[in-house]
Amino acid sequence: MSTNQKLALVVDDSKMQCKLLTVLLKEENYQVIIANDGASGVKMYIEHQPDLVLMDINMPIMDGFEATRRIKKLSGEGTLAPLIFITSMDSEQAFIDSVEAGGDSILVRPFTPRVFKAKIKSIQRISDLVDQVKGLQLEQQNDAELAEKMMSGVIEARNFALDKIGVIKKAATIFSGDIQLSALCPNGDLHILLGDFTGHGLRASIGAIPVTETFRAMTKKGFSLLEIIAQLNRQMFTLLPGDLFFAASFACISEHEKSAYIFNAGLPDGYLFDVQANIKKQFISTHPPLGILPKLLADAQVEVVQVTANDRIVFITDGIVEARNQAGELFGFSRFEKAAMDGVGNNMLVNTVLNRLDDFCQNCAQEDDISLVDVPCSGWQQIKLSNKVTIPEGFTEEDNYFATVKNLLPTWSYHLHLTGALLKKVNPIPLVMNQINDLEGAGEHWQSLYTILTELFINALDHGVLGLNSSLKNSAEGFSQYFKERANRLEMLANDDIQGSEDFVGITLKYFPLTKGGKMIINIKDSGQGFDILDVMKDNSIAMNDGLKLSGRGVELVNQLCDTLDYQEQGTLVIASYIWHD
Amino acid sequence: MTVIRRISSDGKELVIAIDARFDFSLHQLFRDAYTSITTQDLSYVLDLSKTEYMDSSALGMILLLKDHVQLYAGQLTISKPSDTVRKILEIAQFHRLMTIE
Repeated sequence: MSTNQKLALVVDDSKMQCKLLTVLLKEENYQVIIANDGASGVKMYIEHQPDLVLMDINMPIMDGFEATRRIKKLSGEGTLAPLIFITSMDSEQAFIDSVEAGGDSILVRPFTPRVFKAKIKSIQRISDLVDQVKGLQLEQQNDAELAEKMMSGVIEARNFALDKIGVIKKAATIFSGDIQLSALCPNGDLHILLGDFTGHGLRASIGAIPVTETFRAMTKKGFSLLEIIAQLNRQMFTLLPGDLFFAASFACISEHEKSAYIFNAGLPDGYLFDVQANIKKQFISTHPPLGILPKLLADAQVEVVQVTANDRIVFITDGIVEARNQAGELFGFSRFEKAAMDGVGNNMLVNTVLNRLDDFCQNCAQEDDISLVDVPCSGWQQIKLSNKVTIPEGFTEEDNYFATVKNLLPTWSYHLHLTGALLKKVNPIPLVMNQINDLEGAGEHWQSLYTILTELFINALDHGVLGLNSSLKNSAEGFSQYFKERANRLEMLANDDIQGSEDFVGITLKYFPLTKGGKMIINIKDSGQGFDILDVMKDNSIAMNDGLKLSGRGVELVNQLCDTLDYQEQGTLVIASYIWHD
Repeated sequence: MTVIRRISSDGKELVIAIDARFDFSLHQLFRDAYTSITTQDLSYVLDLSKTEYMDSSALGMILLLKDHVQLYAGQLTISKPSDTVRKILEIAQFHRLMTIE
């Protein structure tokens, strides 16, 4: 059968009628097959899958209504081989019965050939439309499934520490506009993102891939949370059309600083729960969703909170609190908070919230994507330590000797001198790490170097240039005061051009290759007042015995990672050396 | 669910009022309420006093209206949102982008 020639099945016990219809159909370019009773009509329908069926009503063995019912049952939903009853029963009842049986149209004898052909054409037109819709639907389904596969397989499977983070993800359509990401920073901090694109389905998810790529790449390179958010905002602003945007909450959890940095742009409140399931803190939205403004608002800043090891941070999208029950009531914040607190209590937050939500909504259709992330504030340190190269295996005194004496000259050195306003605007660490990666290739051992550089640079900036006293951080109240003061002083740096030029931090790196590894000498010099090195050392050792101190952890960590760590020039210059083995 | 549009007698203010639910189903009606208006320096008032529910696509529609208003150097004010709607606007921090009274 040629592909463009359609096949018609004529079911009629009158040979005369069959012949007549065959002639007319052939003139319309149909191939014709014939059955003389209902039962064999059904059989031939199964065998040949025709494009059109013409059905008589009164026939032996099985009548037209029964045959039609069986054929329509077989062809299932969505597939329409149009079926026309041809009859001389010109009664209202016959018309109603034929529609009830599943017929698509009825043609009453006698009719002229022209009327017959017009009927065939009109019914074929409808059937073509149905085919077209079916095709489109299938295509859309395939696209959505592909996107779903990509989303779960590529995006979410690459999330960090999925076993530790509790996740709820219930999409309203196959493909969710909600996205959950987690990634590990080079210094062992954890970055979390929960985001909600406007609407849902495929339309809502065009931003998912770029958001994921940017979030992961920038986290890996060591950019701060706010820098990542600013970049995501710029990206979404260029990418998304005017009425689409991306509401998202972000967290950076630093286990060794015992603090978390939070930013909520357009999502419902986030929560910090303690181990007794109390709400310690709520994180309200402080910024419009991303992608609306070309730049973040000038006063955009992350919120810093102290966390303890057993605290949990929980973010939700509006789908949870806006879920409705049969009576049209919203699940709401108080029901959610109750469920979450009970969940924290029995250590099953995700399940508890899900069960309560199901009980509440029963079988109501879900209108929006529902998602939640539940992130413990500790448990990442383990992973970080395994990445550290503390004392390289096979390290010998000889290596040390050659490192310092034989290779007197570094194979390369790098110097970066940042002044004034640039100290607020630029985070030099990713720049430096990029240089190192370009020169020496990527490697696990750079993670420790990243930590060293970050800690030493922050110390030089905070305590040197900005003159902040780290003892402020000793108390919980002082902790937030410290970060407020830090923001103020940075702002002054940015505004004061004349004085700005005198403030600086200089970073110098010198690289010495070893036989099986390398050595990096790091010098960081700042324009600050310096400090009494001995006093601080003494303070630190006392505080460590007390086990209470919130500050100074940075230096301890650096000390562990470095081969040597020296403060010189009244504490305005720090010289660290870091050695690793391949 | 309807979108009602009136222009003040002095022709300086355009009020768009939404009743009941403000969601994606109003997309076309909402656009039709303002796209043909190209008067400069017009005051646009989006009256949400009768709006009981608003979803995020409605927020997107408001942003499109804002783009239109800016194009013709007008002013946009969101008027009298109910508590539920105000909460949604607050979460999205829309008061940072336009006037809400």
